[in-house]
Amino acid sequence: MRFVNARFSHRKNQTLYLMKKFTFLLGALFVFTGLSVAQTSTIRGTVTDVESGGGVPQANVFIVELLKGAAADFEGNYLINDIPYGEYTLRVSSIGYVTYEQTLTVDASLEVVDVLLQPDLASLGDVIVTGYGAIEKRELTGSISSVRTQDIEGVTLQSTEALLQGRAAGVTVSTTSGNPGGAFKVNVRGNGSINAATEPLYIVDGVQISFAQQSSNTSTTPLNSINPNDIESIEVLKDAAAAAIYGAQAAAGVVLITTKKGQSGQVQIDANIERGVRNIARSVKYITSDQYVQYMGEALAFNNGVKDVAATDISAFTDIYKNFFLGFFGADPNSDGSKLANTNWQDFIFSEGLTQKYNLSMSGGNAGTVFRISTGYEDTEGTAFGSDFTRLNIRTNLDQRIGEQLNLSIALNLAQSTQTGVCQDGNFINCPPSQAMFEAPMSFPYNADGSYNINTRFGESTNPAVVENEVDRNVTIGFLTGRTSLTYNPFSWMSITGLFGLDYRNTQDEQYRSPIAAPGQSGWLSYTNRNVYNFNTSIVANMEQTFNEVHTVQALLGGEYRRDYSQSYGTRGDGFTGNFFNVLSATATPVSAFGVNNEWRIAGYFANVKYNYDDRYFLSFVGRYDGHSRFGADNRWGFFPSISGAWRISEEDFFDVAFIDDLKLRGGYGTTGNSAVGNFASRGLFSVSGSYRGSSGITPNQLANGMLGWEQASEVNIGLDYELFSGRVFGAIDVYRKQNSDLLFGLPLPSSSGFGSITSNIGKVENKGLEVEFNSVNISTRDFSWTTRFNFALSSNEILELPYGEDISAGSQFSSLKIGKPMGLIQVAKWAGVNPADGRPMWYDVDGNIIFQNVNGANDVEYKDGHAEFVGGYGTTVSYKGLSVDAFFQFSFGQWAHAGTDFYFTRTPDFLMNLNTEVLDRWKSPGDITYYPRAMTGGAVFAETDNYRTTESTQGIYNTSYIRLKNLNVTYDIPSRFTDAIGIRGASIYAAGVNLFTWTAWPWYDPEVARSTTDIFGNQIYASYPTEKTFYGGIRLQF
Amino acid sequence: MKKLLIALLSVGFLASCTDVLEDVEPSTSISFEAALGSKEAVDAIRASMYSKIRASFDFTTEYFVGPAALADLTYHRPGSSRFQALNTANGTGGTTHIGSSGGFEIIQEANLLINGIAEGVLDQATLDQYQGEAYAIRAFVNHRMAKTYGYEPNTPEAANWNLSIVLRTKATLDIADAEPLPRSTVDETYALIKSDLQTAKSLLSGRNSDNGYITEAFVEGMLARVHLYASEYSAAVTAAEAAISKSGRSLVDTEAGVATMFKGKNPEALFELVVDPNTESIAGSNTNSGPVAYTSDQWVAQIPTNEHVSKYGAGDWRVAGWHNDCIAQQTVGATANGCETRNDLAVSITKFNGWKGNLAQDLTYMRIAEMYLILAEAAAKNANDPSAGLPYLQELRDARGAGAVPASATASMTAYEDFLLDERARELVIEGHRFFDLKRLNRDIPSGLGGIKMRKDSYRILAPYPLTTQNVNPLLVQNPGYATAQ
Repeated sequence: MRFVNARFSHRKNQTLYLMKKFTFLLGALFVFTGLSVAQTSTIRGTVTDVESGGGVPQANVFIVELLKGAAADFEGNYLINDIPYGEYTLRVSSIGYVTYEQTLTVDASLEVVDVLLQPDLASLGDVIVTGYGAIEKRELTGSISSVRTQDIEGVTLQSTEALLQGRAAGVTVSTTSGNPGGAFKVNVRGNGSINAATEPLYIVDGVQISFAQQSSNTSTTPLNSINPNDIESIEVLKDAAAAAIYGAQAAAGVVLITTKKGQSGQVQIDANIERGVRNIARSVKYITSDQYVQYMGEALAFNNGVKDVAATDISAFTDIYKNFFLGFFGADPNSDGSKLANTNWQDFIFSEGLTQKYNLSMSGGNAGTVFRISTGYEDTEGTAFGSDFTRLNIRTNLDQRIGEQLNLSIALNLAQSTQTGVCQDGNFINCPPSQAMFEAPMSFPYNADGSYNINTRFGESTNPAVVENEVDRNVTIGFLTGRTSLTYNPFSWMSITGLFGLDYRNTQDEQYRSPIAAPGQSGWLSYTNRNVYNFNTSIVANMEQTFNEVHTVQALLGGEYRRDYSQSYGTRGDGFTGNFFNVLSATATPVSAFGVNNEWRIAGYFANVKYNYDDRYFLSFVGRYDGHSRFGADNRWGFFPSISGAWRISEEDFFDVAFIDDLKLRGGYGTTGNSAVGNFASRGLFSVSGSYRGSSGITPNQLANGMLGWEQASEVNIGLDYELFSGRVFGAIDVYRKQNSDLLFGLPLPSSSGFGSITSNIGKVENKGLEVEFNSVNISTRDFSWTTRFNFALSSNEILELPYGEDISAGSQFSSLKIGKPMGLIQVAKWAGVNPADGRPMWYDVDGNIIFQNVNGANDVEYKDGHAEFVGGYGTTVSYKGLSVDAFFQFSFGQWAHAGTDFYFTRTPDFLMNLNTEVLDRWKSPGDITYYPRAMTGGAVFAETDNYRTTESTQGIYNTSYIRLKNLNVTYDIPSRFTDAIGIRGASIYAAGVNLFTWTAWPWYDPEVARSTTDIFGNQIYASYPTEKTFYGGIRLQF
Repeated sequence: MKKLLIALLSVGFLASCTDVLEDVEPSTSISFEAALGSKEAVDAIRASMYSKIRASFDFTTEYFVGPAALADLTYHRPGSSRFQALNTANGTGGTTHIGSSGGFEIIQEANLLINGIAEGVLDQATLDQYQGEAYAIRAFVNHRMAKTYGYEPNTPEAANWNLSIVLRTKATLDIADAEPLPRSTVDETYALIKSDLQTAKSLLSGRNSDNGYITEAFVEGMLARVHLYASEYSAAVTAAEAAISKSGRSLVDTEAGVATMFKGKNPEALFELVVDPNTESIAGSNTNSGPVAYTSDQWVAQIPTNEHVSKYGAGDWRVAGWHNDCIAQQTVGATANGCETRNDLAVSITKFNGWKGNLAQDLTYMRIAEMYLILAEAAAKNANDPSAGLPYLQELRDARGAGAVPASATASMTAYEDFLLDERARELVIEGHRFFDLKRLNRDIPSGLGGIKMRKDSYRILAPYPLTTQNVNPLLVQNPGYATAQ
């Protein structure tokens, strides 16, 4: 029995290292195939954590030359049979540990090889995926946030973007819709663009994902094709030094998603079953029918001269309203006709949904091939009216050696998602989230005989029950994402990789209204088919040489081309005979047919040259030369350079601080581009416009701007990576300043030209901030461990330049653009409270005098803004033996917003809609100090005041700051003595929750205020689909 | 395997050429060269020129209703705020005057036909026709804008303040063409309008069969209108007579005919913009934005004033023919009461009520009746004798069942002009004339509720240019009395 305790020495270049390894492997393979083997042996042993003394479950034990291995069980025990006698390299690896290697002579005497693994507490040895390559974190000179398998293992979230939320410093993720499969706003280091705001560039295993042609039926995202269970890591290239290699597409940040690959060795099968329930994460409180009648009675009493409704019997007035409501809404169908209904519409619209997920993956490999095949199925019901998301996906990742110099890699993902959606995001009378605010409690969905109530707020066709049962919004998406790459290694110091990536997406939107929901048309059906054919190809050469053992030079040269072609076409038919059919053929009248297509192309050349002296000084130059079909003929190509460097202070001889293991100072400067302008924004165009007497018209709608180019982001970043106390504390600190210039604006033209404006590059915005990542291993013993991880980002946003140096929409309450101010500035009048004498609402005028009448806009002051200045996440994991508890909190501070729909419709009874419980704290008697004025029958009913509802003031602006318990997982690994008994490698059971608790002062549905994926203001929300919380339990089995 | 690699490499490189970046075309747009170089595309530009008139609020609803609302013919019904600002016309903001800023989009189309299309694309006859229509429409649009922003030629006001509008005579094909231009003088503006009309007249000579497009008769009618505004009475008489004779049309002269003349293929129309309610909307929405929506069915917003309805005599066919009970107009769910507060008859003007459904209609921009009124005015003023115009006036009144012109109306030129103004209001209500008639005749603008809204010498007679327009065009001089950009 031998004990070995060795620390793996980090390789300088992982890519090259892998290449060497494969070459060696291949050679070994050819040698061994020619031999006949007489004798074999078996080795066994335990893989143990050197610090805690506990076994390392799932460790991968591998005999390199034989491509043969085994995975340890949950207690770290492994066994490998049939090893021919000889000398081999034994490699033992596990996530979160430093990979261990030793030379092994296998003969009859060898039986037990126990291995001690050194926890890789710090992450500096981690391999970080960068643009067109991968490096170890210690060599990094730019700013990259990395979400690793260990951070997200066991976290069940539906989507890729959700995994990023709170886990990457400086990446602000907000849900734009709570419906399952809904979209997120992902913002890397602030809003840099005003009119060309865009998502970051998402690249999945080298395939650039298109966001063109998304469904209009519900909120969705192209990243729904990815099963989060397949994700190995997500890297966000944050600063220009890291992202410049993606040139004209990189200004909004680049997100690299890498899926799991197979490992050579025994085939491993993982299965996972999970079920749970979903509810809305937060609800809003509305008043009851009785409270409503009381409110209206008080209002009427005031109108009739009563001065104090608390001291007066106002039952005569409440009776008037009760009778009016009985006539207006009808009586409770379950009463004798004398009672008002008291419907909780919120409960009617949002109800519990079930979720279930099944994942199965198989991975393994041999001499020439490693593979991982996985399949997953998920069915998640949303809370609003039958909303639902399903995804079935099959992923195959395969790497194949061909001969000595070639390696073929294929990653294929086939997925199908279906969504049953609901309309949302706006004051629409037929959208469930707004209906929860539009229907008063006195209204009700069904009559006593089960028929639809025709007296709901906007009539039968928009009765929420009709919307639930008579309207379908179905989205079916087929995804095919595939990548094939071929790597050629002509020399040991050089590799060339050609890559093809295909991103095909077919979206079918089907919308159906029965004759009840659309009586005007006797029902209708519309059908839209959308296709995205997105393709990218690149060729990249990697070279590395080390001179005199200390000078390492690496170079990367490449070229890339991408074409994004999308189309949509559809038709609509009106008029169904009865409720029997819902296909187009059953419609009486074809109403419309339409079809358009769209395309853009980009081509680029790029290079990255890196120099490193003795692992101490690092220097990196990046240049990308990109041409884009969107830009003017005279400005089609642009150059995006960056320079960055790093100094590992801790490697210096003079540096002698015992508790600091590693300290690296980084700095970089570079430029990137945002090409998210319209596809043909630079061209002079005639477009179809209008018609006269049967002839279609065309009109010049856009003047050519041959000089139109990308928006440009210049960014300087300074960072510090640290690792302290033998790796127990590690992290990074970054400060940056990013200026986006040449912003796209419509430069106004003299109106006599016949054109309103021409798209031009003017305008500048600055984002700056500080980002901190901090990780610690607080306790690590054999049975007990406790780790924490924490990150936060402080940021600010400021508009620096606008066309003609003039503010745009300077007086706008929520969408002004003012030089020197952040985007999303809120300008409203100051609220002066409720007049204790008579209950009137009061505002301040610009001079600070109290006023009772305020023309909207006349007395507005610059108040707050929709920019969240402080965001981040905090996670902690406590493990005791097989039991571990992981909690992850995500927070956001500093954003203020106005809940538009809630305000306009649930604050006063102007429209006889729902009323929220804010109205309960209202003025009733002289001397009352209240939040809410006296009751009002509607509109500006006190002749002497302006409308409380429509007069925006600071009272209506709320702080959205929140802390949210995003994930809570409790996992129990079943001891191997039980799993061994039933012949499986491992098993664990877990219970978990998503969005379990939210601490916030925001009184409305969800403090994650984001109207769309590219909302730059962040200060208003309109009847969004509320975020949901999920409880679930599951079991994970390994074979 | 090497072959595969070479193939891979070559595809990778080939794909990165610049050519592929240029070879991308939009699916619903074409380049300027393509548009101006093919007959189909030029046909489509011509269609767009007409379509732009229909799509412009300024040249449809505001064109027709605005001058009535800014003067005294209509007032907003209590509870409806549409055009309320024109009725009250307070402040100096741009919304308190009649808009016509959409005009340049129409002129751009006209200019494309006049000097943008490539040579040889059209045969000469078609080219003449299209260009003739374009000159006429440019003159029509420029005249409307000139009436709004400047004074009329040969008036004392114009002698004091002689700036009119920006004249753009070249199509904007390039950013260089979009340079800021200063305002031209009143005389320059009218000179261009008249010369455009003369050019149009010769190009359209003999084209009078289809009044859904610009005809020679309409051009004559425009000349008559423009000469009248320029106080060139003899020329106005000649042109108005030519318009009538070339059109081959005559006055409708039956009670039933008057009641239905706007209900389809107006027999008096010199130019009628044709609207297909199934596919085409007026100013974006027939239901919400068309003249009918503003005056009756949808909003019942601009209600005739007592001032106006009391102008009609007993038995005038135009009262019952062009007005109807307000309550009868109300749409389901709306309560269109309150008309009685504006006029004792509690009626709204249903003259333009849609006959095609969906509140749509064809829009009559000029008709024979206006020619008779021009003749009645210009002939009298030319001779400085009311009796010279009286026959035309009487002929019109006879065709309306309105009875004889009272003797008092011909007692003096002033009395005659007063009567003519009233007759124009009775006949041309909601056809885009009232405010401009009062302005050109240098009258105070009365309020629909009685009293005077703007005195004749008020700076507010002329419309202001919005500040944003001035910011973009530093050469643009603001009309007196209004805010100026710094």
